[in-house]
Amino acid sequence: MKRLPSVLLLIFFFVFIMMAPQAGAEPKTDGKPDGGALNYGEYGRPTTLDPITSNDMISMRITELIFNGLVGINEKQEIVPELAERWEMSEDGKFYTFYLRQDVTWHPKEEEEPVPFTAEDVIFTYNIMMHPKTITSMKVRYEFIESVIKMDDFTVQFTLKRPILNALAKFSFKVIPQHGPANQEFLSREDPFAQKPIGTGPYMLKNITADREVILVANENYFKGRPHINKFAARPFADQNIMSQALLFNAIDMIVLVNHRDIPQIQGDKRYVLQPYNALSYSFFGYNMRNPLLADKRVRKAFTYAVNRQEMLDSFFQGQGTIISGPFAPGSWAYNLDVQPLPFDPQKAIELLNEAGFVKGDDGIMVKDGQKLSLTLKVPIAKESEAVKRVVLAFKNYLNKIGVDIEGEFKEWLSWKEDVFLNHEFDIIFASWVFDDSADISSLFHSAEIGSWKNNFGAYSNPEIDSLIVESKLTLDHEKRRTINRKLHAIIADESPYTFLWTLTNYAAFNKKLRRVAIHPYKFFSFADDWFIPTSEQR
Amino acid sequence: MKLSSVRPIALLISKELVIAAFLLLGVSFVIFIILFLSPGDPFSTMLKGQMLSGAAKAGAREALGISQAWYSQYLSWLANMLHGDFGTSTRTGLPVLGEVIRVGINTLYLTVASMLLTLLLAVPIAIFSARRGMTFFNWTSTIFTYVVSALPIFWLGYIVIYISMHQFGFFPLAFGSSSQKFDWLNFMLPVFVLGIGNGTISEVVRYLREEMERVFSEDYIRTAHAKGASIWKHSFKEGFLIPITETIATKIPFILGGAVVVEQVFNWPGMGRMAWQAAQDRDYPLIMGITLLAAIIVRLGSLIQRVVHIMVNPRASQE
Amino acid sequence: MKRYSQHSIEIGDFSGVPFWKKAAVMDLMYVSYGIFIVILVIGSYILGAFDLLPYDPHEINLDLLMAPPESTGHLLGTDFMGRDILSRLIIGIQAYFLPGLLAIAIAIIFGTCFGVLAGYWGSGFDTIVTYINNLLNSFPRLVLILLMVAAFKPDIYYIMVIVGITNVPVVASLIKGKIQFLKQKYFIEAATALGLNNRVIIFKHILWHNCRSLLIIQATLGMAEAILMETSLSYLGFGVQEPTPSWGNMVQAGANYFMQGKFWPSTAPALAILFTIMGFHLLGDGLNNILERKQGK
Repeated sequence: MKRLPSVLLLIFFFVFIMMAPQAGAEPKTDGKPDGGALNYGEYGRPTTLDPITSNDMISMRITELIFNGLVGINEKQEIVPELAERWEMSEDGKFYTFYLRQDVTWHPKEEEEPVPFTAEDVIFTYNIMMHPKTITSMKVRYEFIESVIKMDDFTVQFTLKRPILNALAKFSFKVIPQHGPANQEFLSREDPFAQKPIGTGPYMLKNITADREVILVANENYFKGRPHINKFAARPFADQNIMSQALLFNAIDMIVLVNHRDIPQIQGDKRYVLQPYNALSYSFFGYNMRNPLLADKRVRKAFTYAVNRQEMLDSFFQGQGTIISGPFAPGSWAYNLDVQPLPFDPQKAIELLNEAGFVKGDDGIMVKDGQKLSLTLKVPIAKESEAVKRVVLAFKNYLNKIGVDIEGEFKEWLSWKEDVFLNHEFDIIFASWVFDDSADISSLFHSAEIGSWKNNFGAYSNPEIDSLIVESKLTLDHEKRRTINRKLHAIIADESPYTFLWTLTNYAAFNKKLRRVAIHPYKFFSFADDWFIPTSEQR
Repeated sequence: MKLSSVRPIALLISKELVIAAFLLLGVSFVIFIILFLSPGDPFSTMLKGQMLSGAAKAGAREALGISQAWYSQYLSWLANMLHGDFGTSTRTGLPVLGEVIRVGINTLYLTVASMLLTLLLAVPIAIFSARRGMTFFNWTSTIFTYVVSALPIFWLGYIVIYISMHQFGFFPLAFGSSSQKFDWLNFMLPVFVLGIGNGTISEVVRYLREEMERVFSEDYIRTAHAKGASIWKHSFKEGFLIPITETIATKIPFILGGAVVVEQVFNWPGMGRMAWQAAQDRDYPLIMGITLLAAIIVRLGSLIQRVVHIMVNPRASQE
Repeated sequence: MKRYSQHSIEIGDFSGVPFWKKAAVMDLMYVSYGIFIVILVIGSYILGAFDLLPYDPHEINLDLLMAPPESTGHLLGTDFMGRDILSRLIIGIQAYFLPGLLAIAIAIIFGTCFGVLAGYWGSGFDTIVTYINNLLNSFPRLVLILLMVAAFKPDIYYIMVIVGITNVPVVASLIKGKIQFLKQKYFIEAATALGLNNRVIIFKHILWHNCRSLLIIQATLGMAEAILMETSLSYLGFGVQEPTPSWGNMVQAGANYFMQGKFWPSTAPALAILFTIMGFHLLGDGLNNILERKQGK
């Protein structure tokens, strides 16, 4: 009897709690359970946590979890609303008006009320991004924007300098809050915002631990519904072998990019899922057309014939990739599937060299007019790079067999960049390009892009290519652009300014307990708010 | 210690402090020379950054241009550092001093712990060898220390991790947010590898054994032994304490060097791992800060050892 | 830091009994083991020069990646490019030879100069040299190398210069200690009294007769140090680069497969390093003990 009042109090208490209005958005309605934690491993550490100055993949993956853009991209590569619920484009394509969602709030600081997201934040983001003192590669991408004005608290209008094909996709840049950075004019890495970011995204930063593990917790008020998994932790590793073993021993739950040599071991283990995702990138050997020996198209084509790309792909990467024939990533709409990669034909290679005037000398090296076909190959070493070494050594070997002497030089990243992009002191390089806009190769092959620190490092110059590239950029018709690009692909494949190698299939590996894992090919975590872990397997 | 010798001791200690300060000055100069001669010209960036922030803080007039003379560059750089401004990392933009101290503490844990382990293993071996000569046990343990000292330290680390994973089902991940049983083992493994690897332990054994042998054969020990007194008490200071502290002081640079590799293998968030990253990125302010801090730690260890030496035997330390 | 006990060879005292009769068996074993190692190094050059290696160490064989030992004719198996490990092992020591010599030369030349300055003339020189020694001792070797790699470039010769420089204090203090010891025994006074001038005393009597074993020991230890340093640097990515084989980069390349259970690509070079370095250390110990015994204790 004495307990009754306290029981009643308890009941009253519970009822009161349950009747209290739920702050923010509802949980997701897909019936999947909330909870659990995901520890994922990265090889290296993020440099910064702000989306504007970050330029490495690790940082970009984390900012993908913390921030949103005006629009987003779904699994089918279509543009979907994100911070903007709808938009309008003017007839002439020069005005874009975005109507913003009104229920979005910024990640709240401790003990504070969440601040609502408004048009001011969008304008602030644009201004700080374009400020001359903000060091970011995004300025170039958004130079087509003339200005932005606030129509009202939840409407912004962008004015473009000229109409751009597919401009809408470019408005996926991440928005940062006006009350975030300490410096309101320009953003530098020293700003505390870079270490304590505030976004609108599904996850917010909780803290960074002693060993630089970045801990993110679910944003209860996320406008798309609270994400299922409670906690994401990004764990940096200095040693790739150790990282792979960490996955196999459940010290971490996921690896973003699995080293190819570890794939067989993980594949055989039933506890883990290997999920492929195609990045828009490819590897190649690039030639310096300034060297008269390489200016001859037949020589370059001979090299491509001499290299057995399939054998390298099979031996070093378990065949996990696609050999490409031209300058676009095979997953891209611009790739011309009709152009086949040149087959491995060392005989044909020798014939081509003979045609170009080379004869095999006494020491086995091809000679023309007394000049030996002896070239330097410069390769950057950024980190542990067994794959790079293998390809380079194999390349040397193949070319040796047709009588070309290659001297390989592994150079440290920054001095390599100087040699290639500044001094142009090289004959061949081995590198990869990573694309985001999958079809813009103008900076690679247009003759105007020859010069210090420009991307046409090999000084490739062809007026036909130049005019096609310009045409492709100006046209607003998608089909027409596609046709032009296919033509570009065919010509460049024939001209061989690069020996195009392959696009590797990237693999992410994760514990089976993770469900509904959809991976964005470039940004990786775009759909992470839908991932979940069944209750029985949560830790 | 008699009262009359207290003042000289204070004098000796202050002399040591002055010497240490001069050495650190020399250290900073060496670092400066290396960076100055570098073709990458790290100083203009570092100094500009430092001077700009200094001027901005003071709200004073425009920062003057940087004169080309090396001594003025050195002096302004030194002045900045004495104010605690070590520049900011070119990679992350964070201030170097704070970052290096933060990770330096972790490395210090590792260093001190592995030093203790080394001594724990080496001292008994040295004592037994010194007292009883080359018995079978001494010989095998000595050979064992030679073997582990001659192995590449990262390979030793891999072996240890492999055994730990496959024999004990345990993956060593210190500071992990994912909890596992035997958390303390996470710490023991890197300490173990650093303690016995890296060439340290064989030298320590050899040195300690020699010193102890030497001391044990000294006349005054022999007379004490003949008199029936315990030789331990008499030999403790000279044969024991001094060699051990001297070993610690001289081995600190080796252990810090070994820590660079061990921290990579075990993913330990310390100075060594950061130094490697900084060398990769050519992050001059950061690598400079780390080198400086490492040298400071070494000097500190040496200083402590000298002080101990003075306290124990004021006259002998003045050789 | 005194490392080895010191005894002097009195002028004119050349005991007729050859040293190998006096030395203990253990020490002889050590020394012969060490000499065996040296022979191996020479042998590697000979084999390489005369093309007597089992396979071409640079020959790539993509069909035969990571073959286990004893299979397909490769005694120690193949590495990640299908190259024969045994052949690479044999010439792998060559990568250390010249850079190591550079390190040793720097250490010995400068160390001796400083040591002589400090020991022979003493006082002012002594203070300066002690200061320099302590200065050079203040840096962890690997950290200083990383600083240099950041400032310049990861060239093995630059790195060996640093290794040599940081070894100078060891040699210097040893020489200085030896000279002080000789002074104690009135050795030098005697020589001066005999009318010998400074140069002869220093070069002939001090260095040659008294210090040479010390220097030889330091040379062997310096080489051992160079090998270990290069190995750590290979792991960090700054050592000798492909395709030149060095034991360090072979261990590193093999270690990538260690966790998957493929031990042999990294074990073979690691064991080579192990035995070689042990050889050097034991050689040093043995020589030292023999010299001690020669004087009796």
